[in-house]
Amino acid sequence: MNKSKLRIFTNSIVVTLLLTTTGLVFGGWLLKDWQDAVTKKFEGRKWVHPSKIYSDSYLLYVGIRVRPEDLREKLRRLGYVQTASQPRSKGEYRYPAGGALLEVYLHDFAYPTEAFKGIPVKISLQDSVVTRIENATNAQELFSLELEPELATGLYERTWQERQVVKLNEVPPLLIRAVLAIEDERFYSHHGIDPIGLLRASWVNLKNLGLVQGGSTLTQQLMKNFFLSDERKLSRKAKEAVMALIAERKYSKDEILENYLNEIYLGQKGSQGIFGVSEAAQFYFSRQLNELSVGEMALMAGLIRAPNRLSPYRSLEAATKRRNVVLTKLLDDQIITRKQYDIASKEPLRHRELIKVVNDAPFYVDYLKRELAENYSDEVLKQEGLRIFTSLDLHLQKIAERALSSGLKKLEESHASLRRKPDEDSLEGAIIVLRPQTGEIKAMVGGRSYAKSQFNRVFQAKRQPGSVFKPFVYLAAFIYGGQEGGRYYPDTQVSDSKFTWVYDKQEWQPNNYNDDYFGSVTVRRALEMSLNSATSRVARDVGIRRVRDIAHRMGIQSTLPAVPSLSLGSAEVTPLEIAVAFSTLANNGVRTQPLAVKQVVNADTKVLEKRDVRVEQILSPSVAFMMNNLLKGVLDRGTAAQARSWGFNRPAAGKTGTTNDYKDAWFVGYTPDLLALVWVGFDNQNKVGLSGAQAALPIWTEFMKSATASMPVSDFLPPPSPEVPQESAPKSKCETDPGAEGCMPAATPVRQTAEKL
Amino acid sequence: MLDERLVLLLAGAAIVYGCAPQRPYRTPPAPVPSAPQTVRVPPAPPPPPAAAEPARKTLPQEAKIPEQDLKRGTVPPSSSRESAKEPPSSVPENTAPPLPDNSSLLAKIGPGTSPQRAASLRLTEEGRRLLDAGDATKALTRLEQTIVIDSSNPYGYFYLAKAQHQLRRYRESLNFLDVAQARMGGDPFWVAEIHALRGDNFRALGMIDKAQSSYAQSLRLNSGNRTASDGLSRLQPADSTGAPH
Repeated sequence: MNKSKLRIFTNSIVVTLLLTTTGLVFGGWLLKDWQDAVTKKFEGRKWVHPSKIYSDSYLLYVGIRVRPEDLREKLRRLGYVQTASQPRSKGEYRYPAGGALLEVYLHDFAYPTEAFKGIPVKISLQDSVVTRIENATNAQELFSLELEPELATGLYERTWQERQVVKLNEVPPLLIRAVLAIEDERFYSHHGIDPIGLLRASWVNLKNLGLVQGGSTLTQQLMKNFFLSDERKLSRKAKEAVMALIAERKYSKDEILENYLNEIYLGQKGSQGIFGVSEAAQFYFSRQLNELSVGEMALMAGLIRAPNRLSPYRSLEAATKRRNVVLTKLLDDQIITRKQYDIASKEPLRHRELIKVVNDAPFYVDYLKRELAENYSDEVLKQEGLRIFTSLDLHLQKIAERALSSGLKKLEESHASLRRKPDEDSLEGAIIVLRPQTGEIKAMVGGRSYAKSQFNRVFQAKRQPGSVFKPFVYLAAFIYGGQEGGRYYPDTQVSDSKFTWVYDKQEWQPNNYNDDYFGSVTVRRALEMSLNSATSRVARDVGIRRVRDIAHRMGIQSTLPAVPSLSLGSAEVTPLEIAVAFSTLANNGVRTQPLAVKQVVNADTKVLEKRDVRVEQILSPSVAFMMNNLLKGVLDRGTAAQARSWGFNRPAAGKTGTTNDYKDAWFVGYTPDLLALVWVGFDNQNKVGLSGAQAALPIWTEFMKSATASMPVSDFLPPPSPEVPQESAPKSKCETDPGAEGCMPAATPVRQTAEKL
Repeated sequence: MLDERLVLLLAGAAIVYGCAPQRPYRTPPAPVPSAPQTVRVPPAPPPPPAAAEPARKTLPQEAKIPEQDLKRGTVPPSSSRESAKEPPSSVPENTAPPLPDNSSLLAKIGPGTSPQRAASLRLTEEGRRLLDAGDATKALTRLEQTIVIDSSNPYGYFYLAKAQHQLRRYRESLNFLDVAQARMGGDPFWVAEIHALRGDNFRALGMIDKAQSSYAQSLRLNSGNRTASDGLSRLQPADSTGAPH
């Protein structure tokens, strides 16, 4: 060997040794790294749980009016399945007597303060009125029942993994054996990877001419799900194998199995991924694990292979076929008896409609997030599995969205000036719906399209309220009277003529719509016709600071400058503030706090927070009744009378609003049980050019007609006597006797006019 | 590519590692777990009640109080309490003995009662039982439903005030009492109840004069109101009885 060859040989040896050493060091480091990762996963937090937002529950009671189609839709959204025979499982219902009787097997539901175990109930209906409710198991009469809240949406990071973590001893043994039989027969014999199993699976698959068994062990599958992607690369498979070996060395078979049964992906419900056997039992069968039949357990085990392709939601045939493959395997392995096999393989799989959770209330959810952000970090909300119970009514929410969307479209169709090019700010609107008695926010639509703009005009947009503000002027007049000592009642005559208000060495002159002035008019007529001049005169007499104080007491939180133009709604406020203030009137003078989040419960079912209804008697019930009576006139005879011709005939009160430059159109109206406010305008302050009666009222009417269709008709009741003395509420003949002459609506309707500023 | 080869190399090494003696684990043919448990433990089914009960949130057994036990006893008026500081009164003085209206609210449901009021009263009664059983939180949830169904039901507001009082939210309780009174009308028994609870709230807030006034108003309307008489006696024990401080 010459010298140069020797040098080459020596160098090769050195390089090989160096490479081997480096490889070993690097390999050891990598192995240690993976081992740490496995340990961290097993001993640390394995799963993040998105928070879930629920709507309000729905209370049915004897005497309630409920349209059958609404009830059916409600049950459908809650995932109940209509059956031909008597409901025998949770989540089933039927109408056996053509709509006169509804039989429902209620779902289980963990309410914040208690867990409810589903029972079968019978609900008798006559002319859409619930006449009797009974527990079908013992015929015991019930006076009310609550349908569980609907899942509105989840708060999650990138993917929504729905999972109920269970202990191994909570999983039925047969389900475990079925999973092992079909996925990893030799689970208790191998050390993480199973060459024998791989060969056997290949043979079984070949024999069945299809993919019946997989080659990966449960441990490998678990490692893949925990750490790796779905890519079919050799390196990924190798890494999976190494990690499986690590896991098997460090953890017991039971620990691995428990993790597997909680980790495994078992289906998809819209944006929700269904993970773990417990969640899957609910998703596919509306059952707890211990309630599953042999056939259901076999299907669950069979679904692991291809949850979406084999899902009974997608194909009953494919699901049945797969279930029977598993049942055959169980029979062959003598895990089930022939009798069990015969019964289970004949169990028909029922078709169920897949109700996907789509965020139907994105603006509402944004409002909730803002409320929740005060107490919970984004990380907590997205990872800790909180359950957030809200006031949201998804039925009303959908009606509101539909009303706004179609209403704005109709306005654009009928008024060319409102149309905009795609790249320009389009006509916008907002609706907020409150329950006056409790302050619950039942629905909120903050804009026309959440996809285009997430700006929530309900609570983020500050706009001039225009004439919507006028009731505050008259409330101040009823409560405080004039500064000269004069009292105001609905029949008090006020001057409606041009005048100049001098203040702080400045002059301000309010103008009526079309410069029409009516001379001497009653307070009632001035409000019904929304007369600017008369209202401003009242405000001057009462004092603008008092008007401002009343507005604040009613619920307006924005800064209100005490200037004359305030009386005509020149100060910017949010629609939410206006809605809260008017709900005080609807609630007989009791102000409530807006309530969206009701309860927050953590993953351990501990109530972290409960927000209660908060009330404060702000106005004397008599004053509130008087104002409600006046505002009823706005709908019956005044600027909003068209709502009646459009078919909204319930007792209701309301007020139109238009700003003096026609940039904002408002209508806020209410029955004793429901308040809705509609705002229409452009974000860039372009002119709408229409009054509140023309732009907002049609949307409000459309909403209220549908929203109140199944509600009992109720009117604003006069307060009982005697009542709580209100120091700030002076007695007047209209207060003590709102039905007295001059306090009640005029017998002859006054001339209707268009909206006055 | 290099990474892939390295991983394969390591995989081979790991197989050797995997086949090395391991920590022993049991290798049963199949796991046999103990009796299955559900994640959600439902409450024990309630006994059949005398009156119809709601399907959900049925009362726990201990909360089922016999009807007769719901009737609170009356205490004879004490002359010293009667002569308590004269309060300003907004309610017409009732010299006739007040009607004993302390029975179950279900008794207020008659043929002419609207379905809303009937349902609201039933829920109020249930809330009242929960309060008597000491579960103010659960009662609050139930009572909030009473005013959703029928916002003119004064008893719902009264028991909401009581629940808030039990939860030591005295100012909130006072607010609910204002609403309850505004909706109650002139029923002396219930107005006396309102004044008595108002007195308890004022006392808890340290507003002794107002508490005294409220108790006195209550006793003027219903001399047998035990809450008011007890409250008054707590306000003036040392001075009036000569007991040591």
